[in-house]
Amino acid sequence: MPRMQTFPDLLKTLWQRVGSMSLAIILLVVLSIASVIGTVLLQNQAQADYLQQFGPLWYWVFRSLGLFDMYHTWWFISMLGFLMVSLTSCLWRNIPKMLKEMRTRKVPVSDKALKRFQHLHEWHLPAGVGVEALQEAFRQRLDGWEFKASEQGGNHYLRADKGRWNKWGYILVHAAILVILVGGWIGSEYGFRGNMAVPEGASENEIDFLQGTETGHLTMPFYVRCNSFTIDFFPTGAPKEFRSNLTIIDHGKEVLTSDIIVNEPLYYKGVRIYQASFGDGGSDVTLKLYHLDGTGAITTAKTQVYETWTDKKSGVSLTLTDFKPYNVENMADPGQPKDFKDLGPAVIYEMRGPGMNPVKIKAFMNPFIGPDGDNRGSFLMVSSTGDKADYKALSLGIDLTNPNEWRLFHAFMKHLGEAHKRTQDSARAAFQAAMYDVFGRDKAKWPKNFQAMAMRTLQAVRVLPSLQWPMLPMLVDYKQHYYTGLQLAQDPGMNIVWLGSAMLVFGLCIMFYMPHRKLWLVIRPAQGRMHISLAGMVNRNHLVFTKYFHDVFTKLDQDFGEIKS
Amino acid sequence: MTATTAEDGFTATLYRGRWVFLRFAAYLGAMAGIAAMAKFGVGAYEENAFLYQILSMKGLIWGGTGALAGCGLAIVGSVMKPTLPDAKMARNFAPWLDGFLLMVILASVWALFEPAADQISYENQSNLFSGRVIMAMNVIFIFSAVSYIAYLFAPESFIGRIATWSAYAGIYLGGSALLLRWHESYLFDMEIGHAPVSNLYEVFILLCCITAAVYLALEKRYQAKAMGAFVMTLVSAAVFFDVWLASVGQGDIKPLVPALQSYWMKIHVPMNFVGYGSFAVACGAGMAYLFRHRLEAKGGTSKMLKIFPSLDQLDQLAYKAVAIGFPAFTLATILGAAWAAEAWGGYWSWDPKETWALIVWMIYGAYLHARVSHGWHGKALAWWAVAGFLVTVFCFLGVNMYLSGLHSYGRLS
Repeated sequence: MPRMQTFPDLLKTLWQRVGSMSLAIILLVVLSIASVIGTVLLQNQAQADYLQQFGPLWYWVFRSLGLFDMYHTWWFISMLGFLMVSLTSCLWRNIPKMLKEMRTRKVPVSDKALKRFQHLHEWHLPAGVGVEALQEAFRQRLDGWEFKASEQGGNHYLRADKGRWNKWGYILVHAAILVILVGGWIGSEYGFRGNMAVPEGASENEIDFLQGTETGHLTMPFYVRCNSFTIDFFPTGAPKEFRSNLTIIDHGKEVLTSDIIVNEPLYYKGVRIYQASFGDGGSDVTLKLYHLDGTGAITTAKTQVYETWTDKKSGVSLTLTDFKPYNVENMADPGQPKDFKDLGPAVIYEMRGPGMNPVKIKAFMNPFIGPDGDNRGSFLMVSSTGDKADYKALSLGIDLTNPNEWRLFHAFMKHLGEAHKRTQDSARAAFQAAMYDVFGRDKAKWPKNFQAMAMRTLQAVRVLPSLQWPMLPMLVDYKQHYYTGLQLAQDPGMNIVWLGSAMLVFGLCIMFYMPHRKLWLVIRPAQGRMHISLAGMVNRNHLVFTKYFHDVFTKLDQDFGEIKS
Repeated sequence: MTATTAEDGFTATLYRGRWVFLRFAAYLGAMAGIAAMAKFGVGAYEENAFLYQILSMKGLIWGGTGALAGCGLAIVGSVMKPTLPDAKMARNFAPWLDGFLLMVILASVWALFEPAADQISYENQSNLFSGRVIMAMNVIFIFSAVSYIAYLFAPESFIGRIATWSAYAGIYLGGSALLLRWHESYLFDMEIGHAPVSNLYEVFILLCCITAAVYLALEKRYQAKAMGAFVMTLVSAAVFFDVWLASVGQGDIKPLVPALQSYWMKIHVPMNFVGYGSFAVACGAGMAYLFRHRLEAKGGTSKMLKIFPSLDQLDQLAYKAVAIGFPAFTLATILGAAWAAEAWGGYWSWDPKETWALIVWMIYGAYLHARVSHGWHGKALAWWAVAGFLVTVFCFLGVNMYLSGLHSYGRLS
């Protein structure tokens, strides 16, 4: 049975265990494995998405474990805390030892210890060779080393050290991690980081941030006004620069106006203001409403993004959710090389009304132009669920930007209705009659591409009457207003983190590249001869030291040879 | 394994004493001068003209002044402390900087072979000369790997020399091709121009070159030629991946997204790849260790064992590579944090890439602890070096391919 331990003894053992190397290895590996979870599971998404993805059971399990905001859970933080305790214990126990070892250099080596050195070389010289001369040769060969001599029992010991302060590397590196963790803790405790969306021309002083699964708010001591937001493009069409012109308003006074771009934030009163995102800030849009009741009526609606516009007569309401001046989409078939094309401006709205299912529509301003430059008519993207993945393209057939086509469609429908039987001939006759109605009887005055127009009208006849909607709202004009998405952050712990980082890099350099090398020259006169030993020791970089040791003894061999003769 | 000290003639003078010290000081001064130009010069740092800022009269004046100042300081320093020119740092670093200078010269020569201005188009980049230089690099690296493997089976010194020299050639081709690509990016449009460390294709070339360079540095110092078969096989794998990337159209020069338009990119990315490359070499040493261990276990007395470094030496070499990679990787991660603090509003966001960098860091940190503590022996650590590199591969490749986050611009599209 093991000996019973008293409580303080137990604490002491525990304290030592906490600072042990094996625990450090285990902690590092466990932390690594735990960190993987948060990279595989997307963090801080909407709760509804998680629920949909995992189902109620696993959602509940993951949520209870805090896996949706894993790096801020009590168990992850406590692991970091445990790492700090372990580091403190390790430093606490080892620093005094290391400091002492660095300060005092024990010179004499026992004969037994001498034999155990990994690097050892011996000479046997005749008696009468001057000890001083040998030692002087040793000193001459080791430039930049520190020496300490001692004599004991007739033996002469000379110890040389290089990189004596190597242990400071260990101390710095381990302390650095403590400092970084403390800096991180201060930052999370006394700092903030949140987002702010400021429409062009408006000002804002509140930031939002995620707090676990909730959104928190914080009021800044100043207002930020967005004067303008601009996007610059490369000649290839890719965005080059997002630039916001901001004015800081402190206590009603405009104190600072400046541009910010990504990678170049603004600094005011300890708060950094970053360009983070952008979006629509309530653009003015004009919609033309093509009524589908057979009258061919067109009315106009002027409204703004994020507003709801209601048609009093029919009770149809349009909620505008977004406007995009560019819509770059992949036009290639699945599996083919991608072919990106800008489809032009589009507005996104939800249409609700009596007798219809609500529907989300992305309506493009321009008709779709095929790869050969052929006009394929106006089109929409329609989603019945509102989910982005559910959008399906809906070609309307006719080009609504051309008012004649809308008229032609209605004339055609009228003449088709008048025909007794639906045959190909009657359709042709109906189309001709419709053309006469719209463009007159003089065929020379008909548009040149009227055949393509006929194809489009036929397509429209197939599509439009089957739509369950009272009207087709199409985008005709816009004046764009952006909002700029800013991130505001203050981190009082940041400089502490940089201090820790500097200590870390500095410490690692000392640790790896300035190893502590020790050499002893031991001279023992015995039986009328001089026994000379060169012993070496290093705490790192054995390969280099082996070479170095070899160098030193070859050189000393020469020197001793000269001294002897 | 003995020291390579016997060199003679011109190169020896070039790499001895005060000459190497003076040169090293001049390089450092020139770099400080360029950095000062980016920070304080008139017009300061411009993302889309930086290469020509360096190569213009302005760069020459700033860099040249820096180099002269460096030399001056070096002379003053060596007068005050006569042993200063013997400092190992100058001797260790100067050859790398010499090599870099040679790459710049090579790239300038390649630039003469560029197609005429009216034949350069952004849409079809296949006629650019860098593509050919990169293809040559690919072939040479694979040839080098084959030679190193041949050397294992037929340890003739001339095969070994061919392997080493072709690895050197590959590095110079790859490095100069990257520099040339930097120049080419300006040929489409000055606005598009940017340093060639912005997508997977480019950084893989960088990775091949750095891995080979770290390996050759170890080979030169410790005659560990047998390890080359393993390291250069890893490099060849990277080469094949790069060829595949080019074949799916990922090799083109594309304009830089706003998030990457920063001088931090030029420091952070290469520094990271010094880390990754060193870890690859450590992995090669680990594989060599396991290979030799198996040979010995079979009781083999084959010829191969004679040219292999001993188990202890291989263990030390793996450690040596980690000792280069770990501080570099630490510094790179810190630089990344500094960039994040400047661009995203926080030095640490638990973004997948950041987290994986931390995981890699902790794994090699644990490796270093395991070495010091007693319970661990060579074989376990060799496995650790190999496994650590697999994690590293996931960190720089897998994260971009499979996980989303702030580094997703490195994604395959």
